[in-house]
Amino acid sequence: MNNKILININNLDEIDIYKKASITNFLFPLEEFSIGFKAFKLNEIPDNSYILVNRIFDKKTLDNFIKIVPELKRFKGILFEDIGVFNLLKNSNIDIELIWNQAHFVINYNSINFYLNNGCNSAVLSSDITGNEIKEILSKVNKSIILPVFGNNMIMYSRRKLLTNYNTYNNIDNINDVILDETHTNNKFFVRESDYGTVIFSNSEFNYFNFIKDIDDNKIKYYLICNINKSPEDIISIINGKNIGNDGFLNKKTVYKMSEYTDRK
Amino acid sequence: MNIELLAPAGSKEKMFYAFLYGADAIYFAGREYGLRANAKNFSRDEMKETVEYAHSLNKKCYVTVNIVFHDEDLDGIKEYLLFLDSIKVDAILASDITVISLYKELKLHMELHISTQASTLNREAALFYKSMGAKRIVLAREASREDIIDIKKNTGLDLECFVHGAMCTSFSGRCILSNYCTNRDSNRGGCAQICRWEFDYYKDNKKITDKKFSMTSKDLNMIEYIKDMSSIGVNSFKIEGRMRSIYYVSTVILTYRRLIDKIKNNTLTDNDKEYALKILNRVANRESMSQFYNKLPGVNEQYYLGRKEESNQDFLGLILDSNNGLVKIEERNYFKVGDKVDFLGPSFETFSYVIDTIYDIDMNKLDVANHPQEIVYLKLDRDIPKHSMMRVHIE
Repeated sequence: MNNKILININNLDEIDIYKKASITNFLFPLEEFSIGFKAFKLNEIPDNSYILVNRIFDKKTLDNFIKIVPELKRFKGILFEDIGVFNLLKNSNIDIELIWNQAHFVINYNSINFYLNNGCNSAVLSSDITGNEIKEILSKVNKSIILPVFGNNMIMYSRRKLLTNYNTYNNIDNINDVILDETHTNNKFFVRESDYGTVIFSNSEFNYFNFIKDIDDNKIKYYLICNINKSPEDIISIINGKNIGNDGFLNKKTVYKMSEYTDRK
Repeated sequence: MNIELLAPAGSKEKMFYAFLYGADAIYFAGREYGLRANAKNFSRDEMKETVEYAHSLNKKCYVTVNIVFHDEDLDGIKEYLLFLDSIKVDAILASDITVISLYKELKLHMELHISTQASTLNREAALFYKSMGAKRIVLAREASREDIIDIKKNTGLDLECFVHGAMCTSFSGRCILSNYCTNRDSNRGGCAQICRWEFDYYKDNKKITDKKFSMTSKDLNMIEYIKDMSSIGVNSFKIEGRMRSIYYVSTVILTYRRLIDKIKNNTLTDNDKEYALKILNRVANRESMSQFYNKLPGVNEQYYLGRKEESNQDFLGLILDSNNGLVKIEERNYFKVGDKVDFLGPSFETFSYVIDTIYDIDMNKLDVANHPQEIVYLKLDRDIPKHSMMRVHIE
């Protein structure tokens, strides 16, 4: 199991702790090209790691990314959000795994198979679909894919600096990493801002470790953990079965027509 | 210079007014696969009739097929695309690669436009979609002038940009607040607009302020920049608002129509833009501004305090008929003798008029018209074409 865990790193010291637990596949959000997670400069990231590039690229970002493409060959793979990254790298001679990781879009087997058949090595399943949908997708994709199993769900990505704007308007010190509390539906959100925009996460973690006991492990390339603020020790205990978190969208089928919504209620 | 004015059509009635008031093309959804699941939308028969009607006017119809597909949505999509092609829809708008790849596989005749839901902001992404057969990209609302120029120069694709209407706080498609809070699927047309709600604001378990946190974006309004946008190669100016009223759609379309025509004739003045801004600021219930085109939106492009979105009551009546200056009107909002009102329509310059006398359907004099949908008559010195509108006077 642990040899199939892929986890993002928040601090380089975490690596040794994870390795002692036989976790050896690491994901490094790349500075300037990622958002929402602690990011690293190119020269800080060890060889054979996976890198996370989850920003939507404008011209300037694309131009800067092109400058570093030759340096990517020492990495094992890249998880990308922007289709421009895919187009650029599939037409380059850089030997690196291309992994489709478009937030909220990786939710049907047909689209996944398109990317798998056209240059991608894998895809990261979005964490906002049901358990039955996950099982159906796993039964129909033609390569192994990456399944998020623990973390704070990435709920929203805005180009706006939502915290800076609010703090400025209200003469509040420029605080970051705040909690928004929506009292009508009783939901809390963790919000993090950077120069590249704002990301809203669910404040509570989803935990699919029980669910994955029932799925076809052969179709899983990695079980992904996206950790924004837990210690490595906590993460290892969760992998080992500590029951923290909720079942996310596993049993929460969404509706979209008001008539269905009323019927469901 | 060929600039397309593209209007939203949430129903057949809105389609009619959009074309009448100057749209070159409309976009709408069928009953499935569109991102406004709770608009009236169009049945298949209505879609066919609409396309035929548009083509009889030498205008175009684009159909949104831009949900993000779950497995359960895949059944039927192939047949639906073939249907749209068979009724000679001019283009589909898509964001999911399933639809985009089907477009290529089925060798469809209509054009493929990439929906703003794909959040395209750079040339490489645009080139990918071009390789899939796309003729046009609807750019992300976050596109800057620099991004637009670069994509145009390096792809040669038609570019469509939103110029007016509501904004998502997030990148399009990158938000599931609605799914999370209400179970309504934002990427399948059920968005509950949680980004317009209010939140308590905490840091380290401490409430920072008693003021509510808000991230509501003000609306988009590109009046100031449409001439520049046309000069850098934007082909289509898109108006948001399939859920809006016929008054909103007609007013916004007529305003942009007249500005675009003046750009084409090289007669656009600052006064024209100033007047247009006054009109547009009245018709919506939110402030509007240019947002991402020339800078990153900051503190002034959002709302922070609790605010009520009150319905606009400027639309006073719809003109049903007119004969020898006797104008038959279906009332929409209260008006009375002595009020100064404006008449607007696609075939005449907007003019103002002080109401002298109001008659009811039996030609009895009234002091006020205060029953929505009541039929009343005004006596003017001219006829007003059917489907024109009467609104509150705007200086």
